[in-house]
Amino acid sequence: MKNIFFIIFLFFFSIIYSQDQPYIYGSFESNSQLLQDDESIGFLSPEDNFRSNNYFQINYQTNNILAGIQYEGYLPSSLLGFYPELDNQNKITNYFIKVQNEKSDITIGSFYEQFGNGLIFRSWEDRQLGINNAIKGVRLKYYPSDDVELTALVGQQRDGFNYTESTIQGLNTEISLNQILNLKDTDLSIGTSIVNRYQENGSNDSIPSNVSAYGGRLNMYSGNFSLSIEGAIKDPDVIANENTLVSNRLYDGTALQVDFGYSKKGIGLNTTFRRLENFNFYSDRLAEGNIYNQKTLSFTPTLSKQQDYLLTNIYVYNSQPRLVMNSIEKRSGEVGFQNDFYYTFEKDNFLGKYKTKIAFNFSYWSGIESTFNEDNSYNVKFIGNGPRYYRDLNLEIKNRWNSKLRTAITFLDVIVDKGITLGGPLGVQGDIKAKVGVIEANYLHANGKSSRGVIQHLWTKNDRKNWLGLVYEYGISSTVNLFVSDGWNYGGADKVHYYNLGGSYSKNSTRISLNYGRQRGGLICIGGVCRFVPESNGFNLNLTHSF
Amino acid sequence: MRNLIFLSVFLLSITGFSQKTLPNISLKTFEGEKVSVAELSSNDKIAVISLWATWCVPCIKELDAINELYDEWRAEVDFEVYAISVDDSRSVKRAKALVNGKGWEHNILLDTNQNLKRALGASAIPETIIVKNNEILYQHTGYRNGDEYELFEKLKKLSKE
Repeated sequence: MKNIFFIIFLFFFSIIYSQDQPYIYGSFESNSQLLQDDESIGFLSPEDNFRSNNYFQINYQTNNILAGIQYEGYLPSSLLGFYPELDNQNKITNYFIKVQNEKSDITIGSFYEQFGNGLIFRSWEDRQLGINNAIKGVRLKYYPSDDVELTALVGQQRDGFNYTESTIQGLNTEISLNQILNLKDTDLSIGTSIVNRYQENGSNDSIPSNVSAYGGRLNMYSGNFSLSIEGAIKDPDVIANENTLVSNRLYDGTALQVDFGYSKKGIGLNTTFRRLENFNFYSDRLAEGNIYNQKTLSFTPTLSKQQDYLLTNIYVYNSQPRLVMNSIEKRSGEVGFQNDFYYTFEKDNFLGKYKTKIAFNFSYWSGIESTFNEDNSYNVKFIGNGPRYYRDLNLEIKNRWNSKLRTAITFLDVIVDKGITLGGPLGVQGDIKAKVGVIEANYLHANGKSSRGVIQHLWTKNDRKNWLGLVYEYGISSTVNLFVSDGWNYGGADKVHYYNLGGSYSKNSTRISLNYGRQRGGLICIGGVCRFVPESNGFNLNLTHSF
Repeated sequence: MRNLIFLSVFLLSITGFSQKTLPNISLKTFEGEKVSVAELSSNDKIAVISLWATWCVPCIKELDAINELYDEWRAEVDFEVYAISVDDSRSVKRAKALVNGKGWEHNILLDTNQNLKRALGASAIPETIIVKNNEILYQHTGYRNGDEYELFEKLKKLSKE
C-alpha cells in the first residue's frame, strides 16, 4: 500500500512540476503456458499446470522528468524453470523518478545501470531469462563537460520480490580524450569504476563485510581499426557453493578482456580474448553460482556465437568464471577467445547478380591451467594448458538468387565438454563432438505470401546421437504467420520427436503468438546468459502490447 | 486484490491520454558520440528505426533486405534508416565488424543497456518503427521475408502526408 501512495505521489508531483506537454508510454507483456503429462519424454506436469508471467510498465515523461512503474505477476506460478521465489506473487516491483537538466540527473527508486562492459557491474532486465536485478536506491549522474560523465549510486539489489540485505555502492567515470588530447582521426576514451558490497558478516570475523571490485578500460577507434581493453580485480572474498561457504579462506579475483576489430566496407573482423579467474560478484556472498542468475553484480556472459536454429543450439557453451574447490573438482576460471569474420562479395559474383555474404566464426574456451595445494591455495598460469570446455567453428553463406528467393547455408563443427551440457564436473567426463548442417530457403510468392523452409541435420556419436530437424513457416500476410517444426532425435534410444506448431499475429505494436508442442530440455541462452529449461509439453501463449 | 483493481483503473485512465511519441533517450555511436532519439526525425524528416542485434537472425535479414533496396527506394522517398543495436556489451564489439562486413549503409546507434528497447516495450526484436517529427506513425514487430515491401508502401504513403 505504501508503494501505491508513493507512485501516485510521483505522478501528481510530475504533473504539477512539469511545464510542458507530458506524454505517457508503456507496455504490457504476458507469457503463459498450459502443461500436460507426456510419457514419451518422461514429463509429469506439475500441480500448477497453468503458469503465467505478466508484466505491465508505464512511464510518464516531460522535458526534465521521467517517472515509471512496473508491475509483475506470476500467477498462479511462474513459467517452468524460472526462479521459484517468483511463484504466486504479484506486486509493483519497480518504480522510479528521474529528474534531469543539462548537466546532471538524479534517479530515485529502481534503476538499471552498467559500467563499461559490465565486468564488475551490470543491473538489467531480461524477461525470457527471468532476470531483473535492478538496484533500488539513488543514482546521480553528472556531466561536467561534453567529454566527462560521472556516475554515483547506492542501493539494494532486487531479488525476486524482495531486496538483498547488502548495500551496493558504485562510482564510474567515462572520459573522452578526443578534445583533451586534440585527436583528429582517432577516438579515444577511458573509464574507471569501483563497486562495493557491504554485507554484515554476522559472528564470523574471518570473512570481510566490505568487498569491492575495481575496473579500468580503454576504447580506441582509429580509421578501420578498433581496440578495447578492460581489466578488473576483486577484493579477497570467500567462495560459496549451493548457499554455503566452502571455507573461511579468502580468494581474490581478476578479469581481463581485449577486443580487437578491423573493418571496412564489405569486410569485418573481430577478435575477443577474455580471461576470468574467480570472477563472480554477487550482491549476496552465498548466491555464488545460483542456477537462476539472481543477485548478480558482475556480468560475464558466454562469448561464443549465439545459435538460432533448432539443432545448432543443442550443444552450446556457458561461461565458467568460478573458482571451484571441492572434493569432486577443482578449477579456477576460464580463458579463451572468439573470432568473427564477415565478408560481402561484390555484385555479379559466381553466385548470381546479388551480393553473397559469408560469416565465419571460431571460438575456443578452456579452464586456466592451475595446480591446487593441500592448504586450499592454488597456483595459476596466465593461460597455460587447461582442459578444453568448448570449441566451435561456424560457416554461414547467404545468397539472394532473384527477387523471390534467398538461401542460407550453415555449417557448425562443435566440441563441448560433457560437464557443460549435462552437468557435473568439468574436464573429466569427456567431450561431445558434433557437426550440424543447415539449409534454409526463403521464398516470396507472387500474391505477397511467403514461405520459409529449413532442413538441418546433426551428426554425433556421443550423447543422444543423430538428429534431424525440419521447419516450415508460412506467412499469410505481414500480420499473420504460421509454423510447424520437428526436431527428431532419430539416433537416440527413444527416437523422440520434439514437434511444435503455432502461429503469430502482429499488428502495429501488438503481437500475439500461440504454439503447442514439446520443449527440449537444456540450456537456453540469450545474449550469452544461459538458463536451464526442463523438458515439457503443452501450450504457450505470448502477448505483448506497447502504447 | 482491491489494490490491484484500483491500480488498473488508475493506469487505464492514464493510458487514455497517451500519445505515440518516441521517448527522449540518448544513444551512442560506435565512436562514443551521443545522439538523442528525438533528433532523428525532426524537421519533417522521415526515419526508419529498427531495433536489432548481432545474434538476431530475422533482424539481420530485415536490414539486409532494406540495404539491398535502399538506393531504389531513396530515388522515390527521402528517408534515413537508423539501425539501433540492442546488443549488450558481450556482442556490441562484433556489431561494427558485422555492419561493415555486410556493407550496410544504415546509420548505426547503440542501445547497450537497452534503455530505448525497454522504453518502447519491445520485448521481441526486430522492432521496426517509422517516425516523423518524433511521432510514431508505424510500428511492426518481427520480420518475415517480404515485409520490407509493406514498409516501403508505408514510407511512400507517409511521405506524401
